[in-house]
Amino acid sequence: MLDQNMKILVVDDFSTMRRIIKNILREIGYNNVDEADDGSTALEKLRGGNFDFVVTDWNMPNMPGIDLLKAIRHDDKLKHTPVLMVTAEAAKENVVTAVQAGVNNYIVKPFTATALKERIDLILEKINVQS
Amino acid sequence: MSFPTDEMDDIINDFIAESTEALDSLDQKFIELEKRPDDTTLLNDIFRSVHTVKGAAGFLGFQQMVEVTHVTEDVLNKLRKGEMKVNPVIMDAILQSIDLIKVLLRNIKDKSGKQEDIEPTKNLLKSILDGHAVPETKTILSGEQPSKKAPSRSAEILPAASQSVTQACAAGAKPSTAEPEAAKTQTKTDEAAHAKDQSIRVDIERLDSVMNLAGELVLSRNRLMRLGSRLSESDSNSELASQMNEAIAQLDLVTTDVQLAVMKMRMQPIAKVFNKFPRMVRDLARQNDKEIELKISGEETELDKTVIEEIGDPLVHLIRNAVDHGMETTEERVATGKPKCGTVSLSAYQEGRNIIVSVTDDGKGIDPVVIKRSAVEKGLLSQDEADRLSKKDVLALIFIPGFSTAKVVSNISGRGVGMDVVKTNISKINGAISIESEVGKGTSIIFRLPLTLAIIQALTVEANGEVYGIPLSTVIENIRVMAEDIKTVEGREVIHIRDRVFPVVRLGSLVSGDFSMRASDWKYIVIIGIGDRKFGLLVDRLHGQEEIVMKSMGEYLKGTEGIAGACITGDGNVILILDVAGLIETSKKLYAH
Repeated sequence: MLDQNMKILVVDDFSTMRRIIKNILREIGYNNVDEADDGSTALEKLRGGNFDFVVTDWNMPNMPGIDLLKAIRHDDKLKHTPVLMVTAEAAKENVVTAVQAGVNNYIVKPFTATALKERIDLILEKINVQS
Repeated sequence: MSFPTDEMDDIINDFIAESTEALDSLDQKFIELEKRPDDTTLLNDIFRSVHTVKGAAGFLGFQQMVEVTHVTEDVLNKLRKGEMKVNPVIMDAILQSIDLIKVLLRNIKDKSGKQEDIEPTKNLLKSILDGHAVPETKTILSGEQPSKKAPSRSAEILPAASQSVTQACAAGAKPSTAEPEAAKTQTKTDEAAHAKDQSIRVDIERLDSVMNLAGELVLSRNRLMRLGSRLSESDSNSELASQMNEAIAQLDLVTTDVQLAVMKMRMQPIAKVFNKFPRMVRDLARQNDKEIELKISGEETELDKTVIEEIGDPLVHLIRNAVDHGMETTEERVATGKPKCGTVSLSAYQEGRNIIVSVTDDGKGIDPVVIKRSAVEKGLLSQDEADRLSKKDVLALIFIPGFSTAKVVSNISGRGVGMDVVKTNISKINGAISIESEVGKGTSIIFRLPLTLAIIQALTVEANGEVYGIPLSTVIENIRVMAEDIKTVEGREVIHIRDRVFPVVRLGSLVSGDFSMRASDWKYIVIIGIGDRKFGLLVDRLHGQEEIVMKSMGEYLKGTEGIAGACITGDGNVILILDVAGLIETSKKLYAH
């Protein structure tokens, strides 16, 4: 499933950040990227299209990343979609909350293209092993 | 990052625009926070903005920005978790850091590569984080004795003090207004968040070119309408002519709508200017040891982008004046039985084709007697003249250059830039300014601004067989004169009108150097005023009033003195629009010879 055509949804309320992440994804070979500006729009998009992967920010208005993650895990159709959480600090309590809510992995801002690739590969490998 | 350079530049531009937007909205939120220091939603909101800017700055390698936002974020984090309470000292420190972040952003924008000294701000915030060494500061907001400077503040965070801040101001103002307003702002932000998806950024040049094309369309329509009416005059029974006129009427409707739609695209809510004032008033009030609440209304009123850009500075000046000179000190207010907390109101609303913007304070008002005395002392007019002026005219004296009644030059206003500059700036955008004041009750300064600068009302006049347009907003009156009414004083031509003397400029000689006048000819003097300067423009005939779309003169004729632009009139002729301010300059040179 190491597919470069994998459809990725980038969720962040700050459009510059979405653009940066999209560019990094492009750099490591993922071109099929869509974006959403908060949790609720993301959820709508996810329900409407076949996304293979979600990269979401934590801190967003209306619906923060952690709520989005929980909503994904509680949705029968979406619950297997891998989610990579982007956080500013690797605060322990945050990581624990995220793991408990079923996050696949997390990455701390700012990150390099290599670091992002590593995380994505790691997530995809784990999923492949499990299936 | 190894993005292509173009893409990187684009991203950085995005970052600057988006961060600036986020930071600008913060100022308003901080003021609200001072009123409701325990509002977690608000704190979360503020935290998120700073947090987001930090995140993006990290990716783009703006190290200084990351450092400042990081420590600011830490303070905000403690506040939102309730580990610290908002107080004026913390507030000042946060505001200082937001200002610094703005400076850093500007440096990035200017590509100056300039580094700022960020250590003082960082250390200040760090000391707050550590919970000790809160720096000594004057705390006018600390409650009962505003005049007495509290000595150094102890380490503890001051919930009691901040509590009394809110109460102090709320006692004077109606506390009931705060809540619904806050709720309103909340819905607005929500709406704005929604609207974001529905909008795109467009380069202003593109909008201008659409505006220009719409202008051309108007001219073609005007031309067609004239032709249509001529066609039906020549053959009133023609089926073709009546069909043609029907089509033209339809075109007329659509064109008007297009013009309106394009104008609306250039409109922006005045909130863009108003938003920076709560913060400014807060800072000024603290510096002055005054308690002042700023009330804003009509911030959703829309104005042309150019007008919005031009009114910022005049408003800053007026608000500074109101806080610095207009408002009494707290003791004075209490002594005269006024509420301790002064009010400055900023409002905007539409009235017909104009937008009215006003700055009103409930301060000491302007005493006409003082104004008169000062004007006479400065030699601006004689005692006799002063005595004859109405109250309204006396107040208008403050718009004369060189007039300032401020006894002490403070660091806030009174640095030589006075009300005359405000007036000139407003005239420049075809606006008018007026003043109302009541001793002991307060002062109100009112701007009357055009909705748009693209379409102007012009007076069309004729000189030497050529037709010219004069922006109607600069015209005071028209008077029919004969050659002998014009007198020569010290080599300069002047005209007496109702006991006032105006210099005369002959439009004909300005534009073609030749302007003879037979003694028996009736001519017209157009009295033109810009800022405080008035003069009479001598023309052959008055044609009328017309709504025109002004065009620039293009590269080749750009900067021709005395000419602001050109336009095409309804009958298809091209006429020049006079630049009144430029004409004054030209006439001065002419007389110097």
